[in-house]
Amino acid sequence: MRRILFAILIVGAVPALTFAQGGRGGGRGGPPPQGKAGAPVDLSGYWVSPIFEDYRWRMFTPLKGDAASVPINDAARKIVDAWDPAKDEAAGEQCKAYGAAGIMRVPGRLHITWQDDNTLKIETDAGTQTRLFHFTGQAPKEGEPSWQGYSAAKWEVTALPGGPAGVGLGMLPRQGTKSRTLDVVTTQLRPGYLRKNGVPYGANTTLTEYYDHWSEPSGQEWFTVTTVVTDPEYLAIPFVTTTDFKKEPDGSKFNPRPCTAR
Amino acid sequence: MQSTIKRAIWVAVAAVGALSAQQAPPAELHVLPVQGNIYMLVGAGGNITLQIGKQGVLMVDTGLAANAAAVYAEVKKLTNLPIRYIINTHVHPDHVGGNEGLAKLIPPNRAQPLSIIANENVLNRMIKPRPDGTTQQFGLPTDEYYLPFKALNYNGEAVIIYHELNAHTDGDSVILFRGSDVVSTGDIFTPDAYPFIDVAQGGSVEGELKALTHILELTVPAKTEEGGTLVIPGHGRLCEETDVAEFRDMMAIVRDRIQDGIKKKKTLAQIKADKPTLDYDTEYYRQGAFVTPDMFVEAVYKSLTGGK
Amino acid sequence: MKIFKQIGIAGLLVLTSVPGYSEIDFTGSWTPLFHEDYPERFPGPELGDYMGIPVNAAGRLRGDSYDADRISMVSQYECRPHGSDYNMRGSANLRISRDLDPVTQAPVAFHTFIGFQSAQRTIWLDGRPHPPEYADHSWAGFSTGVWDGNMLNITTTHLKEYYIRRNGVPRSDQAVVTEHWTRHGNYLTVIVVINDPVFLTEPLVRSENWIYDPGQEILPSNCEPAPEVPNPPGVITPHHLPGTNPFLHEVADWYGIPYDAVRGGAETMRPEYRKVMGKPEHVPEKCERYCDCGKDAGACNLH
Repeated sequence: MRRILFAILIVGAVPALTFAQGGRGGGRGGPPPQGKAGAPVDLSGYWVSPIFEDYRWRMFTPLKGDAASVPINDAARKIVDAWDPAKDEAAGEQCKAYGAAGIMRVPGRLHITWQDDNTLKIETDAGTQTRLFHFTGQAPKEGEPSWQGYSAAKWEVTALPGGPAGVGLGMLPRQGTKSRTLDVVTTQLRPGYLRKNGVPYGANTTLTEYYDHWSEPSGQEWFTVTTVVTDPEYLAIPFVTTTDFKKEPDGSKFNPRPCTAR
Repeated sequence: MQSTIKRAIWVAVAAVGALSAQQAPPAELHVLPVQGNIYMLVGAGGNITLQIGKQGVLMVDTGLAANAAAVYAEVKKLTNLPIRYIINTHVHPDHVGGNEGLAKLIPPNRAQPLSIIANENVLNRMIKPRPDGTTQQFGLPTDEYYLPFKALNYNGEAVIIYHELNAHTDGDSVILFRGSDVVSTGDIFTPDAYPFIDVAQGGSVEGELKALTHILELTVPAKTEEGGTLVIPGHGRLCEETDVAEFRDMMAIVRDRIQDGIKKKKTLAQIKADKPTLDYDTEYYRQGAFVTPDMFVEAVYKSLTGGK
Repeated sequence: MKIFKQIGIAGLLVLTSVPGYSEIDFTGSWTPLFHEDYPERFPGPELGDYMGIPVNAAGRLRGDSYDADRISMVSQYECRPHGSDYNMRGSANLRISRDLDPVTQAPVAFHTFIGFQSAQRTIWLDGRPHPPEYADHSWAGFSTGVWDGNMLNITTTHLKEYYIRRNGVPRSDQAVVTEHWTRHGNYLTVIVVINDPVFLTEPLVRSENWIYDPGQEILPSNCEPAPEVPNPPGVITPHHLPGTNPFLHEVADWYGIPYDAVRGGAETMRPEYRKVMGKPEHVPEKCERYCDCGKDAGACNLH
């Protein structure tokens, strides 16, 4: 009996060690590759967001005071009621609604490319903004706030790190789920607007995004970005939206145009 | 004059059969178990309802003449018990065409002779001479009824046959299988096509609406407007109460639009030009279908204006 | 020799136990987040609002003809649940459960329960085929799902006719609906794509978020249809005759939107539409309707 158990332990340890070293999904060997080398999906190309949802808040500048659907608090309500696009223009802040927390909802197109092996670049034609997703780790401690902030990206891994080693007989290490999601956390944001009519977000905002690529049966490619805006200053709870982007064959409709405050 | 009218009627009836034959897949039959004792047989022309139990087989309609042998073969796959009853929902060839062939195929049975049930108007039309002068000899209704309904009990359940006045035709029957909780409607209800209101054979839009409302009185859903009584239409998929309600409401709305045009003294051509079926065409008309939007509008117009 | 035999047997057992990648577990209770289109999804859409829908002329006329009194006067509409595609807009809270094969523990199906009208759906994961085209349709339709990494791709056919929007824009019984579900922590993201050749010129894509809410109780609803409002004489189902609906310009006037945009259509949904769209006929000075909808994560009231 002891010999049998010993044999099982030996045999079980071999695949456990093997899985720990190779492949994505966890184990004890090390993190999976990130950046371009680790991309499980291809987000590069030109993308357009047809406005299926929140149409009258996105295709048009909503009426002053309209904050429907956004879980703002009293402090934000005061700012919404006081919105004055002329003041924003005078202060050179036409791009307040084009910051990272709101830009994906502005009608327009994206051009996504790899700036280098560890930086995914998103250029928007609306407001000619550029977002850089860094796969190399956390934001610098003393970064200058900007409209697009600092975005730390990683390909999502759902298995627990250092998962249980196998002991054979069907009890091999759990590989977790083969995720295809891009996780992005953005901080160091300059205060901006979630909508063009002055629904605000503050300087302590954290933006968490999940990019999920999918296709229709026809083969048409899309991605959906789930955006979670956490703002202790102006939001009662995190503000969660999803925006859908459809791949276009080329950039012929990519139309760079400046920010507008109205 | 009368023989000219009769000839015209037979031509129309033959056209229905011919077009139905063009539309129906060539004898590729499928049987769908419905519920209780009931099956739906599709592909033979109009939908056929089969009630199969310990006593034998009851059929509602028999499809096109060309498919009679194939229909018989499908029934024999399900049971060796005899076909005891055929009920015809109306006189059109895609529903009665198989009567003659089946009557010849079904072996004589002194204990359970074949009974073909239909409203008397169906028999009256079937015994008229054909354009070539011949008359049908086999497969005629043997048990016609003229009262508002006829009832029998077969395979352990009540089978109630209702005459629906001047709906699709003047000889329509709707059959309720009370135990199995299934209703066979014939061509009063065709969920995937505009209804053929055969004005020449006594059909009318008001009769259709009353018949559909009556079908809604017979159906009871199991929960949240789903399940419960199932409905086998003359053509198209298996349905339920809300499907009948959608179809009835479509007809009511189109009728109202045409009625409004008539009130405004518009001609038929002007009413057609208004496209009163625009929001239903993409749902109820496919290229090549027998009933076009214009045909439907014309039938409603004629039945509202007395055929003038 | 004996020990090698034992090692061999053990090895065989290990090698045949292939570790698979596990799927995401969606089970649990979920609450919809109304951070998009709250006024439309909860209080209800404005009459004549077809914005964001790639609707064709047939669908538009259906919406223009629609009279909500139909729900009161036609008893078959009183207790209808929503179609399964509409239910994922968050009509009520959601519970997801799962069937596992007792031998392999592989998921066989997800089941969803939505509190409104006790709407239930099964999403089959075992590869079974969809029913034939002549089979019965249901509110939930027939759904099958296939995993692609951490995303469940669902195809639904055999749906009964229902609405894309509750102001009468229809979704036909010939539609095929595809969904893509994924979960990020406590957020469930559901993308619903409606392909409807009868009423849409291109697929309609809508995506909603739900938040994990394990403490809630989702009760069944008990609805029994009963005739409560008599039909006027001669009226089977209430509707507006073409060209007579008096409410169609309201939403444009209330929100300062060009009327053509309100009428929907695929061309109105592209960013370049802003270059060609007309001017609104009337622009209020400020928001007058649903302005505080969702404030402090609260209700959506008109004023």
